[in-house]
Amino acid sequence: METKISFTLNGKKVSLSTDPLRRLLDVLREDFGCTGVKEGCSEGECGACSVMFNNKMVTPCLIPVGAANGQDIMTIEGVSKTELGQRIVQAFADGGAVQCGYCIPGMVIAAYNLLLENPNPSEEEIRLGISGNICRCTGYDLIVESIKLAAKRGR
Amino acid sequence: MIAEELTRDISTAMRRLDAVEKSEGTAKYVSDYDFSDCLWARMVRSSVPRGIIKNIKLPKMPEDYYWVSAKDIPEGGHNYLHMIATDWKCFADGDVKYVGETIGLVVGPDKTTVEDLREQIEIEYEEQEPAVSIDEGVACKGGAFVNGNNIHCHLKLETGENVEDVFKRCDKVVEETIETGYQEHIYLETNGACCIPEGDHYVIYASAQCPFYIRKSIAPVLNIDPDKIVVRQATTGGAFGGKEHFPDVLCGPLLLAAYKTGKGVKMFFDREEDIENSVKRHPSKVVFKTGLDKNGNILAMDSKVYYNVGAYLASSFVVLQRGCFHVTGCYEFPNMRTEGFGVATNSFPSCAFRGFGAPQTLFAIETHMCHLAEMYGVEPLEYKSRYFIKQGDNTSTNGKVVERVMIPEMLEQVLKASDYKRKAKEYKYGTGKGIGIAFYNHGGAFTGNGEQAIIKAKCRMHKYPDGTVEILNSQTEMGQGFHTIIPKIAAHVLGIPVEKIIYKDPDTSRVPDSGPTAASRSTMIVGRLVEKAAQQVKERWNEKEFEVETHYEHPDGFPWDQSTFQGYAYLGYGWGVCVVEVEVDPCTGEVTTKGIWSSHDGGHLIDELIVHGQVNGGVIQGIGWASTEVLQNVKGHFKQTSMSDYIVPTSMDYPKQECFFVENPYEWGPFGAKGLGELVFNGSGAAYIDALSRAIGKRIQSIPCPTEQVMLYMLNGKDIEEAL
Amino acid sequence: MEETKCYMPETLAQALEIKSRVDAIVLAGGSDLMVSHKRTIGLTPVFDRPVMIIRNLPELRKIRVNEKGECCIGAACTSAEIAASTLVPWHVRQAANRMGAIGLRNSATIGGNIANASPKGDTLGPLYLLDARVKLQSLKSEREVLVSDFIVKFKTLDIKPDELITEVIVPYSERDFDYVFWHKVGTRKANAISKITVSMALKFNKDDTVKDFRLSATATGSKTNRSRDVENIIIGKKIDTALIEKVIQAFDEVISPRAMPEFRRESTRRMIRRFLSECARHPNNRVIETYDGYHMPGAIDPVF
Repeated sequence: METKISFTLNGKKVSLSTDPLRRLLDVLREDFGCTGVKEGCSEGECGACSVMFNNKMVTPCLIPVGAANGQDIMTIEGVSKTELGQRIVQAFADGGAVQCGYCIPGMVIAAYNLLLENPNPSEEEIRLGISGNICRCTGYDLIVESIKLAAKRGR
Repeated sequence: MIAEELTRDISTAMRRLDAVEKSEGTAKYVSDYDFSDCLWARMVRSSVPRGIIKNIKLPKMPEDYYWVSAKDIPEGGHNYLHMIATDWKCFADGDVKYVGETIGLVVGPDKTTVEDLREQIEIEYEEQEPAVSIDEGVACKGGAFVNGNNIHCHLKLETGENVEDVFKRCDKVVEETIETGYQEHIYLETNGACCIPEGDHYVIYASAQCPFYIRKSIAPVLNIDPDKIVVRQATTGGAFGGKEHFPDVLCGPLLLAAYKTGKGVKMFFDREEDIENSVKRHPSKVVFKTGLDKNGNILAMDSKVYYNVGAYLASSFVVLQRGCFHVTGCYEFPNMRTEGFGVATNSFPSCAFRGFGAPQTLFAIETHMCHLAEMYGVEPLEYKSRYFIKQGDNTSTNGKVVERVMIPEMLEQVLKASDYKRKAKEYKYGTGKGIGIAFYNHGGAFTGNGEQAIIKAKCRMHKYPDGTVEILNSQTEMGQGFHTIIPKIAAHVLGIPVEKIIYKDPDTSRVPDSGPTAASRSTMIVGRLVEKAAQQVKERWNEKEFEVETHYEHPDGFPWDQSTFQGYAYLGYGWGVCVVEVEVDPCTGEVTTKGIWSSHDGGHLIDELIVHGQVNGGVIQGIGWASTEVLQNVKGHFKQTSMSDYIVPTSMDYPKQECFFVENPYEWGPFGAKGLGELVFNGSGAAYIDALSRAIGKRIQSIPCPTEQVMLYMLNGKDIEEAL
Repeated sequence: MEETKCYMPETLAQALEIKSRVDAIVLAGGSDLMVSHKRTIGLTPVFDRPVMIIRNLPELRKIRVNEKGECCIGAACTSAEIAASTLVPWHVRQAANRMGAIGLRNSATIGGNIANASPKGDTLGPLYLLDARVKLQSLKSEREVLVSDFIVKFKTLDIKPDELITEVIVPYSERDFDYVFWHKVGTRKANAISKITVSMALKFNKDDTVKDFRLSATATGSKTNRSRDVENIIIGKKIDTALIEKVIQAFDEVISPRAMPEFRRESTRRMIRRFLSECARHPNNRVIETYDGYHMPGAIDPVF
């Protein structure tokens, strides 16, 4: 059932005619070329596809695009161009946070989501803030350190 | 890179070259490519563990939709995948031997239609009784289906005197069985590949560790020269061994589909599909028989090592060999007999996973040593330290340890940082707190002279007129940092910034075969070839444009006989010590890890930050294997099929680690480096289980050990000090 | 395959109107339904009935306190919103705060958690414990029913095709008790499914007898378990060891875990024993933990 759906994507108004039950994840990747949004588990467990939805982190594998109608979506493509997003990207590069990289766009989103609300998080708050994002390579320590670095550079 | 960086020691951390593009989401993984002209493929697989295919009922295929199966293999083509052995079929033909065995592909232009068609396919089986576990395989449940005895492969090693003779003069001979379970890789990127016909050849894009393996493995399906297949590695989102041979299982059928349709064909697994239908770490069972004198000193040890290989052998004999070579761990025992059995079962074939067979036997020996110590009332560390192996000592294959073993130095670092000795004394068994320790090693690169005799690694380096240099070899980046450290090695030798060095993801039509990215060999073997090539380029720097090629040469004086498994199995081992401290919830059995301390010897490190990341990730993966990562096989089906029921660690599960290293340059490695990527997995599980069993005062002989199992041990377990 | 019809109302009135004529599957956060109906990568989930998306209905996203002082949570409030609100009773906040991953908690709703009626549903233990009710609205009617009655049995609800869950009303909070306990044994430390969760609360009379005691457990049977009969064993009496064991024994007969029964039974027993024996000591801390020195990262403080 094709329906016209409009939302804000990385600061721009976009609209498309599509089945509202399609996963927001597929629409972002296929219709808008946001391939930085990674599919890892298809059930909201791994956080690889994380995006900002009305300024809160969500996993678009769980969201039908119909639910995005009229809402504000930011993907890694948009977040990485913000001051905070780019600060996190650079801190990840300097701090050794990145290995295979597949979880990393989602991890940047998680860090962004955390630092938006809490610019000076403790180690435990950082660990909680990324606990919905599975990384199989790093054991998380250097990601945590990199988020600390990003927070420090923002002060 | 600034000039100043080149003057620092190579170990000084450098920014990874792929970090920013991966963080910004612009790195292209295989599912991110625009393959819009290609057809979609979905795999149809066996749903029974063992049986005869009686009938395949296909729906009517609309125009442009295809069913691809063994029948489509052209005359002269072979229905197998060459993965060391050649028994793994590309498509099931006549019978099925495990759940998940490939039967065919549905291929077509619209992905939803392809899936609709796939769901309508009905396959009728005459089911047979399967053998799923090691015990069932050995017992030939349902009748043997491999070699008349279900033993795919077997080896035997002996050192010193005949152990049966020694047992006769022992005060006591004890038996203990240690078991480990399946482990799923959970690389964050699931498997995916695309095969496109171009002129007289086929181009494959894949998430893969070993592009040349794919060529070699699948070319027989069409009976074509491997050169007619070009493999281009896409950015690979984790592998850990799970993309060493397994991509062949996708690429073989895709090649046939591209041949049949004349079009490009792509296939991406979803997570459930990937967990249910991909290779795993071999479950193991090690049966020790250990002869002791009246003071508890080990006089002889007999170990029988059983690995659950699954339905097809593929690379498993090599895994089993490595397992058996590592069964003595970091120790020298006077008299040893080790026998390995690769058991055929009707389960998904097991394959490479970080450690490649070594973690299972290392877990077994560490745990057995703890239990021997505890039954004699000796602190496990003290007991283990009686047997530490040293330079010049004998290995399990009657070779010698060539290098200096720095266990004493590493031990000192972790003991001090963890306050182990005080805690080990203070935390009485069964009081809810425990600290544990494990020692481990990992032989770097292919066994013996395999690098020279079998792999024959080649590496090229090209100097361009503008002063840039391109490194050409087949090593892949899969997260471990290789595509940063290799340009770094070249930059340091050449004295030019890393920005002047080109090193792309491999394309088999452009690069020489430098061997697989596996076996902790890339840095020590290929890194060395790059170092040598760079030295040659440097000497000829004034020439405008040229190319050099370097070849691996095995050092003389370290013989190895691959037919008897005797001699110097490995020239350079990585070494490790890990301490883990835990606390157990007396109400629920939940374990909280309070601290993790490790020290590793990776020779002279090429990049301390990259190595740090390897240690953190490997250690956590090892504890996951020992604790929460339960993967059961019930009647041939994996019971855990998603990331909500197969439980890998999150950022909250383990505390920040403390990592130490020792400086022990390796004679034949680049800048003195040796392999380390697998080593860091090999011991944390044993240290964790040692700590946990002390905390609950119960003996643990099997992993994984999730919360509910901890509770069962607390309720009904055997006391830790009970005689074996 | 035919495409499913999908409704996207913008107000509650529109949603109720749609419900009055179509028996649509109500989809809020999607964290259960999008998973149970998923196909494979890139494919649209398939539903056997029309779907109505209510994620963004403003009327269903409010948390308020009604005239009776009861906390009323809009059915489409997310777990994250619930965890963050000091209006919401402590047990419910703790459970919401520990549900799945952060991204999921920004999608998953309390209405959905109830309607999914899973025996492992994270908020159900606290909701049973605190006698919570759901408000069901249709174009023509409005009624309230106890959550414990609303969930008839595994995956079965007392709901009519034209009704929509609009609010969850929680009449009790930590302020009604002296001591509270909530412990989830997850599959891991975060981003976890419950292996077992036990919720408890206790209030003393001035004479040290128990005025009220409540106990619920999830993942211990086909639905969340709570039994007033078991609680009554100790109500009106002074806590002693024999009485604690009686409660433990009686609750053990109430629960019926199928998988991991020994673990689930024994950890339930131990948690009850720990809570009641701690209460008997009248400690200053009002949140009872499973052992001294236990630290729950990110735990929410109760508001007394």
